[in-house]
Amino acid sequence: MTRFLTGAAALAMSVAFAPAAFAEAHGGYTIGVSNTVQGNGWREEMICAMRAQALVEGDVTDLIVAHRNTDSAGQLEDLNNLIEAGVDAIVLNPSGPDALNSALETAIDQGIVVVAVDAGVTADGAYILSNNQEEYAYLGARWLFEQIGGEGDVVYMRGIAGVSADTDRNNGFQRALEEYPDVEIVHEVFTGWQQDQGKQQMFDFLATGIPFDGVWTSGIDNVIVDAFLESGAPLVPVVGADNAGFVSQLLEVDGLEGAAVTNPGSVGGAGIALAVDILNGDAPEDRTVLVDPVLWENTTEEGRATIEAAQNPDLDPEWPVSTTIPGWTDYTLEQIIACDGPGQG
Amino acid sequence: MNLIRKQAWVMGLLGLFVALLLVTKLIQPNFGVNGLESLARAALPFAFATAAMAVAVIVGGIDLSVASMMAVCSVTAAVLMEGIGGVPAITITLAVGTLMGLINGTLVVVTRVPDIVVTLAMLFVWQGTALLILETPGGAATPWMRNAITGSFIVPGLPNALIIVAVTVAAVWIPIRRSKLGLAIYATGSDETAAFRSGVATGRTKAMAYGITGLFSACGGLSLLALTGVGEPVPGPYLLAAVASVVLGGVILGGGVGGLLGPIIAVFILRIIRTILTLAGFDPNVTTIVEGTIMVGVVMFGAFLVQRSRRQAA
Repeated sequence: MTRFLTGAAALAMSVAFAPAAFAEAHGGYTIGVSNTVQGNGWREEMICAMRAQALVEGDVTDLIVAHRNTDSAGQLEDLNNLIEAGVDAIVLNPSGPDALNSALETAIDQGIVVVAVDAGVTADGAYILSNNQEEYAYLGARWLFEQIGGEGDVVYMRGIAGVSADTDRNNGFQRALEEYPDVEIVHEVFTGWQQDQGKQQMFDFLATGIPFDGVWTSGIDNVIVDAFLESGAPLVPVVGADNAGFVSQLLEVDGLEGAAVTNPGSVGGAGIALAVDILNGDAPEDRTVLVDPVLWENTTEEGRATIEAAQNPDLDPEWPVSTTIPGWTDYTLEQIIACDGPGQG
Repeated sequence: MNLIRKQAWVMGLLGLFVALLLVTKLIQPNFGVNGLESLARAALPFAFATAAMAVAVIVGGIDLSVASMMAVCSVTAAVLMEGIGGVPAITITLAVGTLMGLINGTLVVVTRVPDIVVTLAMLFVWQGTALLILETPGGAATPWMRNAITGSFIVPGLPNALIIVAVTVAAVWIPIRRSKLGLAIYATGSDETAAFRSGVATGRTKAMAYGITGLFSACGGLSLLALTGVGEPVPGPYLLAAVASVVLGGVILGGGVGGLLGPIIAVFILRIIRTILTLAGFDPNVTTIVEGTIMVGVVMFGAFLVQRSRRQAA
């Protein structure tokens, strides 16, 4: 039985890996991807952007994706497995800035190009391509505080405690809070970036009857508006991300004042593009590249027009609507929705 | 008969592991010492979590708070190491882990609430405790601790991480197993009432067994710190993985049967399956299905073999 399995596996693998064997010369790169949150719209868009970009990059023949829910130790395991798989570059969404250095430094020593997207890593020689998370929170928080007249109580719905993107956003949020001393946080929760959890937390808080003037969310946004509508509570200004569901609510829900701050998941595709550039000898001068967010609000004609232009009915409601990053990604909307990478038929 | 069956199970697992190693080598001809070494390192926290869970299961309970205790220990050690250096920090952390385990065990014994309920509640308590100690990943590990689990310099050719697991688990478990406490743990796990009537202090035995679970959880937390170099307050995916390895390793949920060697080999099997699936470039959304299917398959196949050998013996 075992021998049969071994034989069958050997046969299957020799077929599957035949192209990879010729991947040594220029082009023909194998890229490894590592990600530690599964089933979240933003992360799924990131993975699809990586696949789509790898598909349109002529030099990439294979993409190995390690994509699951795990911790830093699990990501270390995945990274070591990718190194064992002999990839030319690793594009990862790091679970923490310091925890992965042992594997990343091994990779860099072996000449593997390392690109961290969405958040930074401290390993020497790694490239970082990230959305500016501190600015993300600052922009949205400042708009919210301005919108409620510079004073009042806000509900602060964060992401995951201890994750660097959440820490960075908190820094930005606190910076805005310092500028508006009359604004108080009346309730602070961690949504775990889970839709169901965030919605339940909002239901729970609405049920307490404590009044508040605004909600800042770390991207778990459309379900918060749903919670208001379903419980019949009067709407207050809501800040969210550019997730398709929330963006359409900004246009369609009567009486909703809100703003979406862009946080493109397509930064994953940009990471693949950067990795290929570096492999082809075209490395950027600065090892850290930050993508700055913009804010779309629905309280002015101009803002509504921007939102209308960005909207796309084909997208999953939990995906960010900014599906491409100009200057970085080359795939089409159909390609990212199809979510097919190279070597997948 | 029981002994033969148990050893046969462990040998079977070992055979399966070697076969999977060969598959890995076939997929990736370069897979060698380095690969083994990173495999052993990846298995480190899982192996300790599994040893911890196995002891709780053998005594007839289950400890759902294993992953949370690991998180508490990892942040405790990370914070202490910055202040008082490696050895004292490790000692205190091991004591903290044992204490948490003893608290779990005492609560189970004193309240008479089922193990699964008490430890589920404690899962949340320890999870919160870890966040109180360290809100975000931080602290530091002493360099020698990080170096100790890398490479294979203690015994050439054998990964250090593997040796550390083997030595630590053996040093704790073998003396206990050969002592009166070990006998009492197995007796309590097989039939608590019978053990009590035979003069075993079942309550104290259970509490002690949970203490050992806590001690192994502390080792798991320390290994997480050694791997990543920072203390992480959010528990990792070790709870369900530990239950899976315990079952796959031949420990019967319900207690009294099984050892620690089988479950630890099972950890390596589950880790190498993950390596194979990554090397082979499997669709990540399918890999967990494959992992689960293999696990059910192996356990069912094993049960089938056991049944058949029983029928032949009868």
